[in-house]
Amino acid sequence: MPRRGWIGTSLVAAALLLFPPLSGFHPYYLYLVSTALLFGTLATSWNLLAYAGQISFGHAAFFGLGGYTAALVSLSGLSPWLALALGGAVGASGAAAIGMASARLSGASLALGTLAYTEIWRGIAHNWTAVSGGGAGLIGIPPLTPLPWLPLDLARSRTGSYYLALAFLLLVIAVFWGILRSRLGLAFAAVREEEERASLLGVHPLPWKVLAFALSGFFSGLAGGLYVNMVRVVEPDLIFSHYFSILPLVMATFGGLGTLLGPALAALALYLASELLLHPYIPAFHQLPYALALIVVALYLPGGLAGLLPSPSPLPKRGEGETRHGAA
Amino acid sequence: MALLEGQGLSMAFGGLLALRGVDIAVEERQVVGLLGPNGSGKTTLFNILSGLLHPTAGEIWFGGTRVTNLRPWQISRLGIGRTFQIARPFVHSTVFDNVLVGVTFRSRDHVSRGEDRRREAERLLATVGLAGKASALAHTLSLGERKRLELAMALSTRPTLLLLDELASGLSPKGREEVVRFYGQLKERGLTIFAIEHSFRVLARVADRLLVLDQGAIVADGRPEQVLGSPRVVTAYLGEEE
Amino acid sequence: MSSHTFVQALLSGILLGCFYAVMALGFSMILGVTRALNLAHGDLIILGGYLGYWLWSGSGLHPLLLVPVAGAALLPLALLCQWLFQRLPEPKELSSLMLTFGLSLLLQNFMLGLWRGEYRIIASEPLTASVRVGSLVLNQGRLIVAAAALILVAALYLGLTRTRWGRAVRATSLDREAAALLGINVDEATRTTFLLAFGLSGGAGVLFATLHYLYPAGGIEVTLLAIVLTIWAGAGRLRSVLLASILLGVIETLTLTWSGPRWRELVVALMLLGSLLARSGGLARSRSR
Ligand SMILES: Nc1ncnc2c1ncn2[C@@H]1O[C@H](COP(=O)(O)OP(=O)(O)OP(=O)(O)O)[C@@H](O)[C@H]1O
Ligand SMILES: [Mg+2]
Repeated sequence: MPRRGWIGTSLVAAALLLFPPLSGFHPYYLYLVSTALLFGTLATSWNLLAYAGQISFGHAAFFGLGGYTAALVSLSGLSPWLALALGGAVGASGAAAIGMASARLSGASLALGTLAYTEIWRGIAHNWTAVSGGGAGLIGIPPLTPLPWLPLDLARSRTGSYYLALAFLLLVIAVFWGILRSRLGLAFAAVREEEERASLLGVHPLPWKVLAFALSGFFSGLAGGLYVNMVRVVEPDLIFSHYFSILPLVMATFGGLGTLLGPALAALALYLASELLLHPYIPAFHQLPYALALIVVALYLPGGLAGLLPSPSPLPKRGEGETRHGAA
Repeated sequence: MALLEGQGLSMAFGGLLALRGVDIAVEERQVVGLLGPNGSGKTTLFNILSGLLHPTAGEIWFGGTRVTNLRPWQISRLGIGRTFQIARPFVHSTVFDNVLVGVTFRSRDHVSRGEDRRREAERLLATVGLAGKASALAHTLSLGERKRLELAMALSTRPTLLLLDELASGLSPKGREEVVRFYGQLKERGLTIFAIEHSFRVLARVADRLLVLDQGAIVADGRPEQVLGSPRVVTAYLGEEE
Repeated sequence: MSSHTFVQALLSGILLGCFYAVMALGFSMILGVTRALNLAHGDLIILGGYLGYWLWSGSGLHPLLLVPVAGAALLPLALLCQWLFQRLPEPKELSSLMLTFGLSLLLQNFMLGLWRGEYRIIASEPLTASVRVGSLVLNQGRLIVAAAALILVAALYLGLTRTRWGRAVRATSLDREAAALLGINVDEATRTTFLLAFGLSGGAGVLFATLHYLYPAGGIEVTLLAIVLTIWAGAGRLRSVLLASILLGVIETLTLTWSGPRWRELVVALMLLGSLLARSGGLARSRSR
């Protein structure tokens, strides 16, 4: 039943997600939903990394690297599409670089290391004025150009970025789905559950961890690039903000670590709830739901974050599905 | 040259000398038993041989290659497999996946097809009598089943040398009989076995040679009947037999 | 760098270090007794700073008089946080990071709501003057802050080494279970440690606000600084924290004299990453394992 349920739910969700632009949503709401989808991408990519046992408190670094790269490339006159792709690539490289630290750090130390990593990039963006524009950042980032084979007006309406955000989210979910049923997923799970034991079975843990970082960083970088494209500015304090580290952490843990769709659904729900229900009434406190969700998750989920990590995926892996759900 | 050789192996944990210059040699296709009281350094020796610990002094050769200070995955790929005294499966994964890990990552050539790997994992589970548990999560297994899973995981990398840490401990007499039978089967398959057991009776029946460790040093080495008669072993063990 | 600038930087660094010690102690003490990492530590200091600013701008009192007031204002929060920290599941290091990341966001939102995003500083007259000692020029505010910090650290040191309470806290930090078995009231020791740590942080916030601009998101830098110092010193070790702080203060002043003040955050973050990598073990474990 759970499997059918998930498929049905996702089909309905997909249909719903195609709907807003077609029904003539107000551009502001379209922008909100697009941002929610971006957070879905960020949360799913966070979850992908956590699936390999690595807890990040620094996804803002990957997001911001993608954002700055996309901004710089498109400002230099190259195609904004190329800029997005390069944003993903730089996000992946930046994540792989800190992923190397997982050779020596794990758990809380790695979490702190990734937190410091974000601060390092924020500091660089502040100080490397010639390239990054310093504290004032970069403005006037050009919009995405129309593609001949894509019947979307990307320059003038929010519809284009909406569909792009949706495409990114579906892409990261599809990639995660593929990983769960491949040797990658097997290696990630083994490294997460018992790194030492895995190494005795021929698994060299570090490359797998770095790969998980790179994949996660790639999608975060893509999201960062699109975000910058939507807001048209990039500033160190805005994009290397811990907001972009906390939110994916909250959404993924709240939505269910190791589940395929949980983080994305939690991202949509939490983000839209806070923006639509709280922001209009108590603007200063609209981040309250994230803070409270994080506190609740930290206190009341059995075994906390670490205890949750090894939870099995809700999807049957490699055809061994029948008894996976009952136990645990 | 023996398949596995260790010379002058020492291991210090802070001020504690867990091993003091141990020499060992395990000949190909032999079953060598390792006995010793609690805390005598048996598991520590296995941890060194499998690459989890680096010895403070000494050298190890396996199949003529120097493997001292190689990392666990390198040693595993060269053909040494091991079990743990207290089973350490991937508790939140299925029994099947636990075995599939070694089958999939034991060598760097990734040519094998997924289908072949799956079939091999199924065969391994059948060998240890866990075929019916393939899709159970490892943490739901009983103690005996965990021991079987340990063995299947150790075999999953197709080792030539197996380091078995107290396979028979904690099992019922019936379970021990089965372990003795496993030892026979593994030997027939041409595997070399280095086995820690607490029970003389188990080792006396399966081992070609016995080593006795006491306080980090080898105190006896020889054929089972010689070793078990030696006065040093009797003092080391005084009343230790289960 | 001339030898004169060097001595000047060295002295400023030592003064800065005393101030850093007060900013780091709360973090270190809580890590000591609970094995929990408090990422909201810096936000508490900023909160203390805002309270001090608010009182100062309303009353015009001397900022030093507001140090105990701001400290006392955080005490209810200390009890709340202790209650929360007690409920954290193992492993505490990771779950406490999550909990306090949430608390940090909560506090920032709270400050944003009350004081907007504006930058504030306590620009009290008596603090901005400078003092000449021979050919050296020292900022009077920094001198006062360092003196206040030293007094706080000394008082805490005496409390920890000379009183029953101090023995209980030290025993609890060393080994909670063993302390409980020895009949030490570990809950009491934990509660008083929280109260002291939060009070100290609130007071330190006022000192902070006389030297630096406050803004709601400014806490993270302080937190990272406290973590670096705690890694260097080992959890809950008072004298080492003071020494490490002075070392960091001197290093920072020297590097900044050379590179310019804007690199400060970057230097602290790099030091954190570097210290973690150099150490690579649990944070709560004492240095001499
Ligand atoms: N990682 C370690 N760190 C510190 N001391 C250790 C470590 N591993 C083992 N020891 C110590 O080394 C000694 C030998 O331990 P070891 O586990 O090798 O004994 P053993 O012979 O396997 O005993 P048993 O029969 O109980 O399994 C013991 O005193 C143990 O406490
Ligand atoms: Mg042992």
